[in-house]
Amino acid sequence: VGLHSLSMSKFTLILTSLNLQVLDKCKIFSSVSLLVFITFSVRSQDIRNTVGNIPMEWYKDYPHIGYDLDGKKLFKPIRNKDELDEFLDKMENPDYWRTVQDKMTGADIRLSDEQVDLVHRLQQGKFGDVNFNEYEPAIDFFSNEVMIHPVTNRPQDKRSFIPSLIEKEKVGKLVHAIKMGWIKPRRPKETTPQYYDLWAKEDPNSILGRHKMHVPAPKMKLPGHEESYNPPPEYLMSEEERLAWEQQDPEDRKLSFLPQKFACLRAVPAYSRFIHERFERCLDLYLCPRQRKMRVNVNPEDLIPKLPKPKDLQPFPTTQSLVYRGHSSLVRSISVSPSGQWLVSGSDDCTVRFWEVSTARCLKTVEVGGAVKGVAWNPNPSICLVAVSYDDTVVLLNPGLGDRLVCTASDQLISSYEEPEEVKDQLVQWAVAEGEGHEQGHRLILKHPKAVRQVTWHGKGDYLACVMPDNGSSLQVVIHQVSKRRTQNPFRKNKGLVQCVSFHPIRPYFFVATQRYVRVYNLIKQELTKKLMANCKWISSMAIHPGGDNVICGSYDCRLAWFDLDLSTKPYKVLRHHKKALRSVAYHRHYPLFASGSDDGSVIVCHGMVYNDLLQNPLIVPVKVLKGHTITHDLGVLDVTFHPTQPWVFSSGSDGTVRLFT
Amino acid sequence: MSQVQARFFTENTKYLIDDVPFSIPAASEVVDLSGVINKLLEAKNDGHKHVEFDFLVRGQFLRTSLANHMETENISTEEVVEIEYVEKFTAPQPEECIMHDDWISSVEADSEWILTGSFDKTARIWSMEGKAVMTVAGHTDVVKDVAWVKRDGLSSLLLTASLDQTIMLWEWNSERNKVKARHCCRGHAGSVDTVAVDPTRTKFCSGSWDKMLKIWSTPLMTFSGHNEAVSSVLWMDAEELCSASWDHTIRLWDAETGGQKNTITGSKVFSCISYSPLCRRLASGSTDRHVRLWDPRSKDGYLVLLSLTSHNGWVTAVRWSPSHEHQLVSGSLDNVVKLWDTRSCKAPLYDLAAHEDKVMCVDWTENGLILSGGADNKLYTYRYSACVSDAGA
Repeated sequence: VGLHSLSMSKFTLILTSLNLQVLDKCKIFSSVSLLVFITFSVRSQDIRNTVGNIPMEWYKDYPHIGYDLDGKKLFKPIRNKDELDEFLDKMENPDYWRTVQDKMTGADIRLSDEQVDLVHRLQQGKFGDVNFNEYEPAIDFFSNEVMIHPVTNRPQDKRSFIPSLIEKEKVGKLVHAIKMGWIKPRRPKETTPQYYDLWAKEDPNSILGRHKMHVPAPKMKLPGHEESYNPPPEYLMSEEERLAWEQQDPEDRKLSFLPQKFACLRAVPAYSRFIHERFERCLDLYLCPRQRKMRVNVNPEDLIPKLPKPKDLQPFPTTQSLVYRGHSSLVRSISVSPSGQWLVSGSDDCTVRFWEVSTARCLKTVEVGGAVKGVAWNPNPSICLVAVSYDDTVVLLNPGLGDRLVCTASDQLISSYEEPEEVKDQLVQWAVAEGEGHEQGHRLILKHPKAVRQVTWHGKGDYLACVMPDNGSSLQVVIHQVSKRRTQNPFRKNKGLVQCVSFHPIRPYFFVATQRYVRVYNLIKQELTKKLMANCKWISSMAIHPGGDNVICGSYDCRLAWFDLDLSTKPYKVLRHHKKALRSVAYHRHYPLFASGSDDGSVIVCHGMVYNDLLQNPLIVPVKVLKGHTITHDLGVLDVTFHPTQPWVFSSGSDGTVRLFT
Repeated sequence: MSQVQARFFTENTKYLIDDVPFSIPAASEVVDLSGVINKLLEAKNDGHKHVEFDFLVRGQFLRTSLANHMETENISTEEVVEIEYVEKFTAPQPEECIMHDDWISSVEADSEWILTGSFDKTARIWSMEGKAVMTVAGHTDVVKDVAWVKRDGLSSLLLTASLDQTIMLWEWNSERNKVKARHCCRGHAGSVDTVAVDPTRTKFCSGSWDKMLKIWSTPLMTFSGHNEAVSSVLWMDAEELCSASWDHTIRLWDAETGGQKNTITGSKVFSCISYSPLCRRLASGSTDRHVRLWDPRSKDGYLVLLSLTSHNGWVTAVRWSPSHEHQLVSGSLDNVVKLWDTRSCKAPLYDLAAHEDKVMCVDWTENGLILSGGADNKLYTYRYSACVSDAGA
């Protein structure tokens, strides 16, 4: 209202000087009313209507349209233009489009260029002021960035430094409550969900096991084309096939019936084997195994017994120490004196040599009349005699070594023999050596009917057993009694070829090894007590454990069989360590050792511990392979024997040497 | 580690040098060190002649480079090492080779004569020059051991022990060169393998295969206790006797009462023992490759002080040096005689490889003669001058 009363010049001043806020408010005015102001500003005359802001149609019926400042009527301009004039004016006047009528005065006003521009801007929704930039960047007073200087410089309160007494009291109460156990720490929440295990306590074997163990009943084979009443011709049997089928056993037949062809189903007769087949089916169901057998999975390595290390089983011979050289041909047999001072060896060069064990010195050489097959030193320390076998002769030698008294005593023992009054026919000729033979040490000469291969003494030193291998003959083993110069043939007949014999070290038993078996005879009862099956092709040698309950047998098929007489007649253990045939086996008298010599030139020493406890089986561990002999004529080691007191083993070989391993 | 601080010292006043530590290369060996010492001695006195030295580090002979030795002996290289130097032992010089008719089983020499026992059933007396002087024949079997008893001017008493179970005491007059059997000691029931004369030269002891020891004096004493043959016997002093046996033990006996004083148990057959009064140690050879040293006074009878291992066969003979407390000689079935110094137990000082067959016996006389006899029928003698100056070292 105030604006209307202001002069036009003042209004323009206000329009230009008013800033944004004013214009913002101006937005609410209609463009038409703005035009009213503009008309005022255009007509800068004193003819001013003072009626105010009223609807102008109130003056429609009056000749005047208002009043001026002096209160005089303002008359409406004379409107003498009709429609035609209006049209002509519209056609001819180029400013017609910018001519508007002022309703306050009724005069026509031509709008200036600036006014038209302003109207356009307002119509487009822009700011009236051309120079106003509405997109200027806004500057925040409080920035989001942290400044180094505080916004306020107010010092901190003192209370923020002083512990609060109230809080202290509260905390003290809590601490007391925790101490007294009134407050308990909160349990950690269990995050895992808890479920009830329905099957936790169920034995899996009860039901699952039943499922697992289930064996379905055997199903019958479904009928094929053969069973058809009208089978294709290829399923029908030809005449030959039918004959072959009839020839076969019912179990072997592929088909249990003959396929037959019928013209129609009506012509098929009743099946004759129906009952029979049903019965078999019942049997199948009845006999079918309905349970699965559990197989035990055992590592075979675990079944092997843990053997001690050879290092822990010392002493045993490990190295070759001495070589007894002198024989010119293969040495077939060796024997050590019971004192361990002397060694006797018999060779194919027809000599018997006596050696000092500790120096390998040959102290004596005795010539005999043939290749020496066996030597045996009398095990009785109070008799100094060596039995030597060659060809068909056994000679008892007195080497004259060792104690003089013992040597003379054994000479006397032989010479003190008195001829019995009644002379019986003997199997063997006993003769006393005389002359040069006696000088050499020959004492008694026993002529046998056949070639003697082995001699062995009884532990007491009076009996001497000789082996004369001859297949099937009744005279293969003879036992001589030296003190009475008597010979007996213990066996009426011998089965097989006797290989070697041996006396039991303690009891009156006698071991006879044939090719396959070892027979144990009781000499007092004169009966066979045991027959050991060696499981090998040809036994070559045998040795009895000094305890008397164990026997080892070497065989030509590279095996060494250990028998435990208390256990079984079959070998307790069979060792196959040698590459070639075994020639000789021996036990040590004191140490738990046994050795085997073979054609491969090696001696294998094994630890063979026999326990007094009957429940404990012997412990057999091979401990050492001793090599030294050279192989000549495909023969290696021919004889092995242990030293009676030391853990030393002697071996004689085909290379003419005797070797001592310690 | 390239340099080692070492201080050299010696007990031989002839070769003294200043007692100052030297920095020497750790890789230096005996020859280098010897050169160093010789340089120092030359600098000290002009008339010095080159001498080869041997070096002892903490009582062990230096055989490898110094660094190696100190590493194996666990000697710290940070400190100054004390190295003792002694004049190098010269190799034994072979002197004579005396041929026998048969294997030589035993030898014993004194300052003038050599006595050998042989497998041809005789004992022989030889001069030091290897001339056969006398053949003592009387035994009916191999002579196993011999011993000089004593010498009164021209007549000497000697003992021979034999496989024929007897010991014979002979009197030999060197001027007339006649030998006469004084006694034939019978009593053993086995071959007499060893005989030893006591220090007073009035009685002797014999050990035999029959497991017995006998002291032949009046009265005759018999010691039984061994379970196997006695292989070697010796007198430690006038009252104490020591015997080695095949039953793996060495036993010490009281010669007066006949009681056993101590037993040393080994694991192998003992074949020979020797005792040195200088170092009070027993050396034993057994049926394996080792020479073992024992302390006879030790109550713990299983303890081997030192094992000298270099032989390849049984050690058949062992003998301490009569004048040097560290040296001994051993003979073996591997045909070699070895000269040992106990301060260098890894390797012998010298190998005397003259024999062509088993060595059966060795001896060492007080005037520096080493003798060895063997199965090749030869008796070798070696002159060994263990440096006199070093004898007491």
